[in-house]
Amino acid sequence: MSGMRLISVLLFVLLMLAWEVGVRLSGASAMVFPAPMAIAATLWDGLVTGFLWPHIWVTAAETLAGFALGCVIGFAAGVLLAEVEVLRRLVWPYVLASQVVPKLALGPIFIIWFGFGMTSTIVITALICFFPLLENTLTGLAAATPEKRDLFRMLRASRMQTLLRLKIPSGLPVILAGVRVAIVLALVGAVVGEFIGGDAGLGASIIAAQGMMDSTLMFALFIVITLMGMAFYHCTVVLERWLLRGWHKGDTQ
Amino acid sequence: MSTDAQPFLDLDGVAYAYGDDPPTVTGVDLRVPAGAFHCLVGRSGSGKTTLLKLAAGLLRPGAGAARIQGAPIDGPAPAVGFVFQTPSLLEWRTVLDNVLLPISLKRQVTAADRAAAHAALERIGIGGHAQRYPGQLSGGQQSRTALARALITEPPALLMDEPFAALDAITREGLQDDLLRLAEDRRTTVLFVTHDIAEAVYLGDHVSVMERGRIAFDMPVALDRPRAVDIRYDPGFNALCRDIRRQMAAASRMAA
Repeated sequence: MSGMRLISVLLFVLLMLAWEVGVRLSGASAMVFPAPMAIAATLWDGLVTGFLWPHIWVTAAETLAGFALGCVIGFAAGVLLAEVEVLRRLVWPYVLASQVVPKLALGPIFIIWFGFGMTSTIVITALICFFPLLENTLTGLAAATPEKRDLFRMLRASRMQTLLRLKIPSGLPVILAGVRVAIVLALVGAVVGEFIGGDAGLGASIIAAQGMMDSTLMFALFIVITLMGMAFYHCTVVLERWLLRGWHKGDTQ
Repeated sequence: MSTDAQPFLDLDGVAYAYGDDPPTVTGVDLRVPAGAFHCLVGRSGSGKTTLLKLAAGLLRPGAGAARIQGAPIDGPAPAVGFVFQTPSLLEWRTVLDNVLLPISLKRQVTAADRAAAHAALERIGIGGHAQRYPGQLSGGQQSRTALARALITEPPALLMDEPFAALDAITREGLQDDLLRLAEDRRTTVLFVTHDIAEAVYLGDHVSVMERGRIAFDMPVALDRPRAVDIRYDPGFNALCRDIRRQMAAASRMAA
């Protein structure tokens, strides 16, 4: 495994080298195709002068707030719809419609409702995170085998006990897979939300850099966003591992 | 009221159909005396699992009456433990917590309960696995855990739905012997569903054969107790198995 990792690092170095040399030899304009060294310098500069930090905090805060809001509401709605069949049939078409409509197309109306700035972006992000949680919670709560449901009936468990001690734990792996999807979508939601209505944040900075034709800064921002996304994703994987620590591989039914 | 005269489980002309499908159980009479070990044999789809669920109160009969200890069955009864085809353990709980599930759903688990669960696991030969998770156990150990869970509340009766069908022959024999020992110790009434004639004869005082939703015939098993491995190679044992097999073939010809 460590051999593969070494090769992977070498590949990265090689690609960067080829890019750097390619840009220098071809004499391409930095405005079109900035060289890795220039991007690294801009990134370093942004971090050292403190120019980037406020934007990083804004985007991180929007992502996490929207993610938390979307996950909590999506999970709660999933549990409610899973438990109340009538409600599911009643509201499912509306839920679906709300997700099929491109959420970013709702951006302009959110700006009218919530104004420019963080609130609009958080609402868009939450709306994006809502659906994977709802969908996976619905699927997850149906995961307990019929025999286990019968077992809980034989033990005369209440509906609440069956939900808390059988259905939710049985569905946890599926629900957490939804959380992993949601965190990735949350960052996309926050960045693109800022394109539409942000006055600060990494997405807003990309738009500002575009206005200044500063491709080097744009690439530096891409790197920051990518690293941020990987960090968030890794956090959910750690959370998942911790929550599923009791689950052991092996087939049981 | 004398409990000796009255059967523990009394099914009187019960019938059941899933939705608009043809009935899976039609007019079954079955009486299981207290303390008896009764086996229900039948091929897949003969309605034996449905009959077991009717006895458990998981299903409500469409016709006829089902009674436990003289009282009409109205939903799952506390007097009855159920062991399923699969161990149905909670993967995210330790073996000990799985065994304690019937208690922890009702009230706070006490130190005495924990000691009882440890003792139950010890008796069934998996005392060393209390803190492990189901995914770390073999199939036989999982089945043992499920059996310990069903017995932790010491129910007067056990309903068992092919609980050992997925195990290898040697492991299955071990579990059959453990089950016989535990049931005899507590004088537990057992209704045991299986498709394996030899298993039914080895375990049961009485074998009923189901065919297309009816009990085609039943016969007592006049073999001495306690039963042990040697009996499986006894001519009397084999004659009984052959007899049941022949009657099953005849019953299925008649039904067809």
